[in-house]
Amino acid sequence: MAKLPVSLTINGDEHDLLIEPRKTLLAVLRDTIGLTGTKEGCSTGDCGACTVILDGKAVTSCMVLGVTASGKEITTIEGLASDGELHPVQQAFIETGGYQCGFCTPGFIMASKALIDENPDRTEEEFRHALGGNICRCTGYTKILEAVLKAAEEIRTTA
Amino acid sequence: MSEYTVVGQTVARVDAVEKVTGAAQYGADVHPPGMLYGKLVRSKYAHANIRSIDTSEAEKLPGVRAIITQDDVPSGRRVFATDKVLYLGEPLAAVAATDPDIAEEAAELIKIDYEVLPVVQDVMEAIKPSAPRLHGDDTKDGPSRREISGQIRKLSRDKENDHTDEISRLEAELEKYPDEVYYNISAESHTEAGDVEKGFAESDVVVEDTYVIPRVHQTYMEPHVSVASADSSGKITVWASTQGPFAIRSGIAGTLGIPLTQINVIGTTMGGGFGGRFGVVITHVPAVLLSQKTGRPVRVQMTREEEFTDGRPAPGCVIKLKTGATNDGRILAREALAFWDSGSVSGASIGSTIRVRGVYKIPNLKVSAYGVHTNKSGTAAYRAPGAPQAIFAGESQLDEIAERIGMDPVKFRLINMREEGDEVPAGGSEPKVGYKETLEAVADAAGWWDREADRNQGWGVAVGDWTNGCGPGGVYVSVHEDGSVRIFHGSMDITGTDTAISQIIAEILTVPYESVTIRRGDTDSAPYSTGSGGSVVTFTMGNTAKLAAEDAHRRILELASERLNTNVDNLELKDGKVHVISAEPPKSISLGELAAYSLSTTGGPIVGKGSFARQASTPALAAQIAKVEVDPGTGRTRVLKLVASQDVGFAINPMAVEGQIEGGTVQGYAWAMMEEMQYDENGNVNPGFVDYRVPTSADLPTVESVIVEVPAPNGPYGAKGVGEPPITPTLATMANAVKDAIGIRITELPIKPEKVVDALKGNGHSA
Repeated sequence: MAKLPVSLTINGDEHDLLIEPRKTLLAVLRDTIGLTGTKEGCSTGDCGACTVILDGKAVTSCMVLGVTASGKEITTIEGLASDGELHPVQQAFIETGGYQCGFCTPGFIMASKALIDENPDRTEEEFRHALGGNICRCTGYTKILEAVLKAAEEIRTTA
Repeated sequence: MSEYTVVGQTVARVDAVEKVTGAAQYGADVHPPGMLYGKLVRSKYAHANIRSIDTSEAEKLPGVRAIITQDDVPSGRRVFATDKVLYLGEPLAAVAATDPDIAEEAAELIKIDYEVLPVVQDVMEAIKPSAPRLHGDDTKDGPSRREISGQIRKLSRDKENDHTDEISRLEAELEKYPDEVYYNISAESHTEAGDVEKGFAESDVVVEDTYVIPRVHQTYMEPHVSVASADSSGKITVWASTQGPFAIRSGIAGTLGIPLTQINVIGTTMGGGFGGRFGVVITHVPAVLLSQKTGRPVRVQMTREEEFTDGRPAPGCVIKLKTGATNDGRILAREALAFWDSGSVSGASIGSTIRVRGVYKIPNLKVSAYGVHTNKSGTAAYRAPGAPQAIFAGESQLDEIAERIGMDPVKFRLINMREEGDEVPAGGSEPKVGYKETLEAVADAAGWWDREADRNQGWGVAVGDWTNGCGPGGVYVSVHEDGSVRIFHGSMDITGTDTAISQIIAEILTVPYESVTIRRGDTDSAPYSTGSGGSVVTFTMGNTAKLAAEDAHRRILELASERLNTNVDNLELKDGKVHVISAEPPKSISLGELAAYSLSTTGGPIVGKGSFARQASTPALAAQIAKVEVDPGTGRTRVLKLVASQDVGFAINPMAVEGQIEGGTVQGYAWAMMEEMQYDENGNVNPGFVDYRVPTSADLPTVESVIVEVPAPNGPYGAKGVGEPPITPTLATMANAVKDAIGIRITELPIKPEKVVDALKGNGHSA
C-alpha cells in the first residue's frame, strides 16, 4: 500500500515518517516509533487503554489514523514525567494503589491528566462519569478514583 | 502495635514506577529484529465439516512468509482443526507476514469449504437425545438411573444368592427415568454425605429452584499474545504473556514432542489473567510453529474479538438446587444437580458444584454435576473457578429459606456456620476460620443491624468461601557488599506478589523494604515455580521466600560469629546489623560489611535458598453486603453501597489486599448484573465491549473493604491467598439485594434491566 508523508510531534520530538494510510496512530506509536507504553486493549475505541493526548485532548489512538494526526502534538505516557520527576497523576496512582496489572494504567493516567488539566474541580461523581471510557478489570475503580482525586487536589493546590 | 516492621505495612509496589511510566514490558511490547506478524485463520461456523482448505491465493500475497495447518504439526498433536470444527473461531490455519495488516488480508484469502452442521448452544437442549452430537461416546445416566444401575450391578455381582426378581424390578424402575439419559456429556462428578431424603422429610421448609448462570469472559485487559523465536540450532525462545511460564514450557514441549531444554519461556509482564492465562495452544504453539517454518521471530496477538470467540472463558451452568431446614433455622439437607457448559472440549469446573454446601453444617448433602458439550470454545479458570456459580445458587436459596422461616439472613447464616472441629460435609473437619467474625464484620461496617430502605431499595448479604492452592517454588536471596538484598525466582507477579515476597525477605533480614530488589528469571534460569493462579503465590512463594531468607540469616550469623569471635547464640540480627547480645559497649557489624567479608571466606557469599512445595491451606471467607435501588420503570439497579469483608489470615501489604477485595467484588458485581457471553446458531454474538459490557467507574460507587485477620497456621505470617475469595459471594449478594428491593427472586443471571422489568410485570425470567 502506498505510503504518505506525515509529521508528528511526539513528547516534544519531531518525527517525519512515511506511513500507510490504514495505520492507526496507535500502530504508528507502537510499531513505527517503538513507544510501547500506549496499550492496545480492543482496537475498537471501547477500552481506553490506548489513550494519548492529542493537541490537549484525550483520544483513543486506535480510533485516529496516523495520517490525520500529521502536524499535531501528541503526548504519550512516556512523555509525562519530566526531569526525572513523575507527574502528580503518576505519583498519585502509586500512592493509592490505583493500578494492579498496569495494562490499563497508561490510558487511565493520560485520560485523568487531560480531565484534570481541563477542570481539576470535578467531584468524585463527575470524575467517575468522565472516566467511563476507560476500562480497568483489576481494581474495581475504587483506588483509581482515589488517585485521580488526590492528583486533582495536588494540581489544584500547586497551580 | 504490630511486632513486624515491613510485613503488615502498606508499601508502594516494587513495580510501581515501571507501571505508571509505560516502561513495563508486556507481551506485545516485545519486538525482536526481523519479527513477523502471525494471524490465526478461524472457522466462520459454529459446527461444520471441513471439506478443504485452499491456501493458494493467500500464498501469492506479497509479504506472506508462511501458512501452516495441522499438516505442519510434526507431533500430530491437535493444534488446528482438520476435518471438523466445533465452534465459531476455532483455528484452522495460521499465517505469518511482514505486516499485521498483510497477515490479516492473507487469512481472509484462505478458502475453506464448509459443510454446515446443526448447532447446539443450550446445555439443557444439548443433553437431550434430539441434540446434535459433538463427540462420539458421550451418554451418561442421571442421578436416579445411576443409583438404580448401581444397585443392579451390586446384586448381579452376588453369585451366592438369587436376585432375579429384584433385578427385574429395578430394571423396570430404570424405565421410569427416560429423561435421565443425558447426551453430549463431557464429564461427571458425584458426592454424597448423609441421607438427603431423610433430611428433607425432617425439614419444616423445603425450597427448590433452578439457577442459571451465564458464561462470562475473564476480560483481562491484555489480549493473549506470544512472540516466538526459533534459532538455527533449534533452540526456541518464547516471550509469553502467561500465568505459568513453566506450564507453557512443558505444554509446548509436549505438543511439539521436543525436550524441555530446547525451550526457554520468558514470562512478560501480565496484563491481567484471572485464571484465563494458562492456555498453551491458544497463541504460543502457533507462534512457535510459524517461527520454526520461517526462521524468524513471530508474534501472534489476539484481537479482543478473538478473545471472545476463542478465549477460554468461565463456564455457564444450570443448577437445580433443593434445601430443607427447620423452623428454628437449622439446615438439614441440600441436593444439587448441575449441568456445566464445557463447550467443545471437556473441562468446566464441575467439581466446584460441591461449593453449594457453603460454610454451613449440612448433615445431608448430595451433589451431582455434569459437563456438557456445546458449540462454544472450551472453558478455563476464572477467579475461584466454579465457586461464584455454585455459591450464587446456594446463597440465593438460603435467603429464600430465611424469609420463609422469618429469620434475619445474617442470623440464619451465623446459626448454621461451621466452627472449628466441626465435620465438613463430604470433606474432613473444620480448621479455625473467621467465618462468623467476617460476616459480623461486614454486617457492622455496612450498618446491617439498623438498616433502612426507602421505597424500591433493598439490602442483600451473602458469603463465599475458597481455599488457596499451593505448589512448588524456589527462591534465592543474595546479600551484597552495600547491604542491599537481591531476590531471584521464577514466579509471575500477579498484581503485588513480588512486593509481598520482597516484604517478607526484608522483614527477616531486618533491612528496609527499599534496599530489597527482586528479579524474575525465565524458565532457563530460574528454579521451577508453580503457576500464578489459585491464589497460590503469596502462600507458596511467601513460604519459599521465608525459607530462603532464613537460610541467608543462618549464613549471616555464621559469618558474624567468625568476624566477631563469638558464638552464634550470642548474636542477633536487628536493623540490618548483627549485634552481640548485651555487649557493653555495644558491638555490631552491618550486613554490608559481612557481605564484603564473606567474599574472602572459605564459605563464600551470602546466598540463601528456599525450596517449598506443599503445606495444608486454610479456607478463607468473603462476606458482602449491598444496598441497591431498583427503578421499577426502567428496571435499572443502582448500587448505593457495597461493603466487602474478607478473612485474609494476615495482610502482608494491606493496600494490595484491599485492591484484591475491591477488584474481585466488582468482577462479581459484573457477573451478577451485566456480563453474559451470548450465543446463537452462528456462535458468539457479542464479541466486543459494546455488546459485552464490563463495568466502568461510572457504574459503581466506592467499594468499602474490611480486612479480617484470623491467621492460617501454615501461611507466611498467617497469610492466606486473597485473590479469589472476593468474587465468590457477590453474585448472590446482588441477587439477594434485588429480591429485597422488588420482592421477586431472580434466579437467572445477569440481572439486566429488561429482566427486572419482565419480573415486575410477572411475565417470565423470575421464579
